[in-house]
Amino acid sequence: MVSVKLVNVTKVFRGGVVGVKDINLVIEHGEFMALLGPSGSGKSTTLYLIAGIYKPTRGRIFFGDKDVTKLPPRERNVGLVFQNWALYPHMKVFDNIAFPLRLRKIPESEIRKRVVSVARMLRIDGLLDRYPWQLSGGQQQRVAMARALAKEPDVLLLDEPMSNLDAVLRISVRAELKRLQRELGITTIYVTHDQAEALAMADRIALINEGSIVQIGTPSEVYGKPRTVFVGGFLGNPPMNFLEATVGYVEDKPILVIGNNKLRVPDHYEELVRKLGLNQVIVGIRPEDMGIMDKPVPYRTIRAQVYAVEPMGRETIVVAEVDGSQVKIVTSKSIVLREDQDIHLYPSFEKIVLFDPKTEKALEVLYEEEKLE
Amino acid sequence: MPKSSVFSSKALHGFKQFVRSEASRFLALALFLVAVFYIIPICISVYMSFTPLRNWNIDRYAGIFVGLENYYRFFYLLANDPSVKSVFLTTAVFVALTLAVNVLGGLSLAIATFFVNERAAGGLQLLWLLPRMTPIAVYSLIWYYFFHPSSIGTINGILYKLGLISKPIDIGQGIIPWGAWAIIVFVNGLVGVSYGMIVFTSAINNIPKELVIAARVDGASNWDITRKILVPMLRWHILYVTTWQLLSLLTTYDHLFLLVKWGLVNRDYGTTWSLYIYNTAFLTGLQDQGLAAAAGVILVIVSSILGFITLKLMGFDKLIKPPRGDL
Ligand SMILES: Nc1ncnc2c1ncn2[C@@H]1O[C@H](COP(=O)(O)OP(=O)(O)O)[C@@H](O)[C@H]1O
Ligand SMILES: [Mg+2]
Repeated sequence: MVSVKLVNVTKVFRGGVVGVKDINLVIEHGEFMALLGPSGSGKSTTLYLIAGIYKPTRGRIFFGDKDVTKLPPRERNVGLVFQNWALYPHMKVFDNIAFPLRLRKIPESEIRKRVVSVARMLRIDGLLDRYPWQLSGGQQQRVAMARALAKEPDVLLLDEPMSNLDAVLRISVRAELKRLQRELGITTIYVTHDQAEALAMADRIALINEGSIVQIGTPSEVYGKPRTVFVGGFLGNPPMNFLEATVGYVEDKPILVIGNNKLRVPDHYEELVRKLGLNQVIVGIRPEDMGIMDKPVPYRTIRAQVYAVEPMGRETIVVAEVDGSQVKIVTSKSIVLREDQDIHLYPSFEKIVLFDPKTEKALEVLYEEEKLE
Repeated sequence: MPKSSVFSSKALHGFKQFVRSEASRFLALALFLVAVFYIIPICISVYMSFTPLRNWNIDRYAGIFVGLENYYRFFYLLANDPSVKSVFLTTAVFVALTLAVNVLGGLSLAIATFFVNERAAGGLQLLWLLPRMTPIAVYSLIWYYFFHPSSIGTINGILYKLGLISKPIDIGQGIIPWGAWAIIVFVNGLVGVSYGMIVFTSAINNIPKELVIAARVDGASNWDITRKILVPMLRWHILYVTTWQLLSLLTTYDHLFLLVKWGLVNRDYGTTWSLYIYNTAFLTGLQDQGLAAAAGVILVIVSSILGFITLKLMGFDKLIKPPRGDL
């Protein structure tokens, strides 16, 4: 059983660049964890810390109960796949896959057996005699996977292994990889900056930004209940819409004022808004959680003007302007809209997330933290 | 027969266009330089090797043709004159050992730098450029005093202070031939190391760092990484540096000239082929330009063959990859 645990891990590079700070993360045995964040956020650094290539400046790393913080990479038994696949150009596919096994001084007959079986699993057994430069991107990616899996690692670490593949191939490999991980039941950490990949494959997603983990949860948790504006804006395509609102009171009930629109506060936020006593909030609404109506409903709709309509085939993206800022609405209905036409947006109130403009945290997160202090 | 049947008018037109183009002017300059500095001197040498030219008396000898006589003399001396024999033995030993020092030294330094802390090694690498940057006379003088066969010589001074010797030893003249060889290999080896080091360092820096990280994760030691990844990937560079250094060692004689002239090393075992050519042509008392030219022509032929063999041995033809397989 190998779970991976990072406890207060910080990595400061020579010259003072902070790679990651105070990372706390547990990846359960057999779990598929995606580490998702924009470029330069510290994803690779985290992965290299787990692999043992970097030593943490502070904090500890555990594999199961074993403290591996000080162990060199070779004693950790991890398989690593890189974005550029890092195949040895002077070795044939067979020798590439056999490389980690040969270093372990495994008998050559056993090596042959293992290489062939892992190659068969990844459907590259016909390519063993080729050099990496004779392979397509997708084939090279499989060879890199095979090399990482041949040594039967306890933990599989993947650093953006698909970002050099074209979009169509990426989607088919995505499903295949997920399936493979399930079958092998190997603890996997998958680094990506592509939110769709993370949502599609992972059991849980850890979102990382500027070296810190901002949220950990299942795909539906991080998608539906973003803890910060960053998470809402990073996940989803198109991402969450944000509208600035002032908090007003009508007959002692809090309401949201967005430009000339008055909107009721969602039930689950009423008490929080009152308790926190905020004057300003950011209203977060997913594009698919808004309907379009031609008549206003008091306290329930927001007035908007159509800016552009983007028919995408299966769905239509409507770009609209609300009080000077743009929002996007995804609708499955094929509706006829003119540019500059007045429409009324009807959000699903139970899906709305409210954020504090100062800290950019969701109100429930802010409240929890204030309670703790 | 009309001209157009020999040269198709189209080809002629193309040629005319090329002559008028910018590219031809650029190429012409290069060809001109090659001709002036390489082809013409070789032609003159070949011509001279068929004349009895001596004491630079061009008016008297340059018009006389003696056939292969200079070549016969050269091979006769090689077979019978002990000091000419020693020159060729020295050339072989000097080139082989200095080449090994140059290539392996440069490779080791580049690889060591790669594994060690980058900043500190950067400074260390600069140090190895000093022999290259120091004027030949100054550099030779340093080693002249270093190996000097008296108590002012650094080595002798140290050995004496340590009580290992009771009187100074003359390495270059007293320990023959290996003492003399050791000095000339040492001095020239040091000069050549920086070249390989720079080529290898820049080549290593171009290897994607993920290759090395991947190997480390798979359990490779520094030695494994050197042997199984860095060296195979530097193949082309090793081939290039080896060939380059081989050819320059065969023709270099500036440091040797001074070391022999100052008497630090034995004349017979401190003289290589190219210095022998120089001495035969210019040294007072010898001044046998016909013989020197013949020796020179043979050196050019031998260098070409050796250069070709190294390229072949190390698989230059394999460098041109077969086309990418169908996918
Ligand atoms: N070896 C290193 N030395 C110095 N800074 C580094 C090194 N590796 C990464 N960094 C810095 O650490 C930060 C995080 O980098 P990285 O983990 O590679 O980001 P990501 O993989 O998420 O794109 C970046 O600011 C990067 O410049
Ligand atoms: Mg990265």
